[in-house]
Amino acid sequence: MRTGGRQKNWPETAHARAKASKPSLGLTNSSYWLVKSRSLGAGGLGNARTRRLLGPRIKSAAFGAYRGLFRPAISRRRRVAELSGKNAAVHAKPAMRPPNEIDFWRGLALAVIFIDHVPGIVFEGYTLRVVAVSDAAEIFVFLAGWSLRLLVASRQVRDMSASHVVLRLESRAFTIFAAQIVITEIALAMTAAGAIYLENPLVLDWNNASAVFENPMEAHVGLVLLSHQLGYFDILPLYVVLMAGAPIAVLLDRRAPALVLPLSLAIYAATLATGANLPTWPVEGRWYFNPGAWQLNFTLGFMLAAKSGLGGYVRRHRLAVRLAGIPVLLAGLVAAHFGWSPDPLSLPEPRLFLMFDKTYATPARVLGLLSIVAVFGGCYKGFEPWAGPVTRFFSTMGRNSLNVFCVGSLLSLMAQFARFSLGGGAVIDTLVLISAVACMYVTAWLSEWRERAKA
Amino acid sequence: MRRILAAAALLTGALTARAQDAPPPPLSPQCEAPAVDIAAPAPLPHLAELLGKKPSSIRILAIGSSSTWGVGASSRKKAYPVLLRGILESALKGTKAEIINRGVSGEVAQTTAERLRTAVALDKPDLVLWQVGTNDALARVEAGDFEDTLRSTISWLKASDIDVMLVGLQYAPKFARDESYTVIRAALKQVAVEENVLYVNRFDAMQFIAKQQDAANLMSPDELHENDLGYECMAEHIGRAVIANLFVRRRDLPKPAPPAAQP
Repeated sequence: MRTGGRQKNWPETAHARAKASKPSLGLTNSSYWLVKSRSLGAGGLGNARTRRLLGPRIKSAAFGAYRGLFRPAISRRRRVAELSGKNAAVHAKPAMRPPNEIDFWRGLALAVIFIDHVPGIVFEGYTLRVVAVSDAAEIFVFLAGWSLRLLVASRQVRDMSASHVVLRLESRAFTIFAAQIVITEIALAMTAAGAIYLENPLVLDWNNASAVFENPMEAHVGLVLLSHQLGYFDILPLYVVLMAGAPIAVLLDRRAPALVLPLSLAIYAATLATGANLPTWPVEGRWYFNPGAWQLNFTLGFMLAAKSGLGGYVRRHRLAVRLAGIPVLLAGLVAAHFGWSPDPLSLPEPRLFLMFDKTYATPARVLGLLSIVAVFGGCYKGFEPWAGPVTRFFSTMGRNSLNVFCVGSLLSLMAQFARFSLGGGAVIDTLVLISAVACMYVTAWLSEWRERAKA
Repeated sequence: MRRILAAAALLTGALTARAQDAPPPPLSPQCEAPAVDIAAPAPLPHLAELLGKKPSSIRILAIGSSSTWGVGASSRKKAYPVLLRGILESALKGTKAEIINRGVSGEVAQTTAERLRTAVALDKPDLVLWQVGTNDALARVEAGDFEDTLRSTISWLKASDIDVMLVGLQYAPKFARDESYTVIRAALKQVAVEENVLYVNRFDAMQFIAKQQDAANLMSPDELHENDLGYECMAEHIGRAVIANLFVRRRDLPKPAPPAAQP
């Protein structure tokens, strides 16, 4: 699934990206956009032949020399260089990896998550959750697991000692934790500002925020312990736990890859059988995204991204997997369309195995996710050639998923305020969506600009 | 006329209950309001049947938004579900009342309804107390959508043999004449009547008390949430409605069987 270039050029953390992104040829931002690797276009799935053919030639020349490879049919401004990611990394070292399947879907999932977090917005009728049993959150977590595989398979991390890997992943978990604290604090300030501006103290209740204003002592402890989560600000706490636990999967994968998925399934089954979940405090309740259950989506992404084992098996049987996914996908479509789900109380114990529940990422939702992956995985290479701007747009967002997610979360809260004071409706909602997605793109662009400026 | 009938019905219900069990818990003087304005009678068949077996404990799911969580209360121990527990346990001598608080502030009915299904499936309560409506009114949720959400959830709970009791919107002077507030209140009442479920009319109770006394007595400084006394009254009214309506259903039974006799 990967190319050398993707591995080399994968850096997930800002630090690593900065390290890997010193453009030796003074590649400017605009010239970066000239680079589009077709061989990477299919998420690394395809075109190894092109890479083999072009690789040596590319290696031997400076970036400017490839202009001769530009396709004449493509406009001057958006010329496409037939560069392999690997050699682009070696010679041109662009600040970020070229558009690819994973980043594209991640970026799209981020846009959909924004819509899902603005209750009542007209576009909520057009998101994944309307046509499938699972939604964009599952895709996002699955792709986070997939990205973890790209990271640990990268040359940089592959040779790291175990303790180094632990340190690397825990520091990533800490980055996500810090992001959660920052956006929560900003969201609280926005909520308070909204209450002041709208002269409506009821705004302080929005999104489960009131504990902070009512019981600041307890709530602040809860915020730092991640046991108090604002509504819609509950994905990153899950991500912190997943990343903090990721070394278990990664190190086990080094020693005994065949045991990773069984371990994950065992934890998942135990969670669903007992209904165990982390508590919230000071608001009595449970985590909205139960880490014990959701780690399965993450681990599935991690294992399916691997070239060997389960991932290798699926790749060898792509057609069969795709065909198997179609009926499951259609069943999910029908269930979602008619709003059908089994009555939880008429199910035999342990009920969670048959329920359609998001908190516990129940099997129906996991199957829904897998059917989407099975059917649509790889189709990126089909539309990538003629949807260049779109794939670049969403890939840019997906490459900077943490920053974009954070800004998107705050924008969704802002959108709630906008809709509250201006009212909803197609016009306002369209403006809200366009400006929000534009802001998310600018966030991604600025993040990369900052990294390039550092380099 | 309807009100008189309802009063008569409540009286019969209360008398039936009184004849066989402890009287409904009394209200504190500050919380006095005409019983019929607070809750029109409706059956709690499952809970009544269960209590007939003299269980060691009953489990209640208190779900809703800020009033359930207890925004405005001086401490977590002054939220209405905690107070209600004491009231119910002293009324149902020997039976423990476990009350699970699942109040999430700022939530509209539809979001709560989704949470409710999972919470019910996992916690298996005998009674669901659903405090609902305030946020829908303020978020300008369509009354039709609000009613649909309530109806589908109530029918599901009924079909699953779980009693449900609706707890309405609070009285807040600044929303007393708000159109959306009035519409949602009417919708809630309408659904309760049509579905024949118990509905505690918090608005009327609080308004009555406010007219008798000083409104500020029940409200916290934000004039939207209740204070300790407000939650005390809320718990008392709910507790009284639960106990008084436990045996309403018997009137509908062909031959009133003692609660201990099970099929």
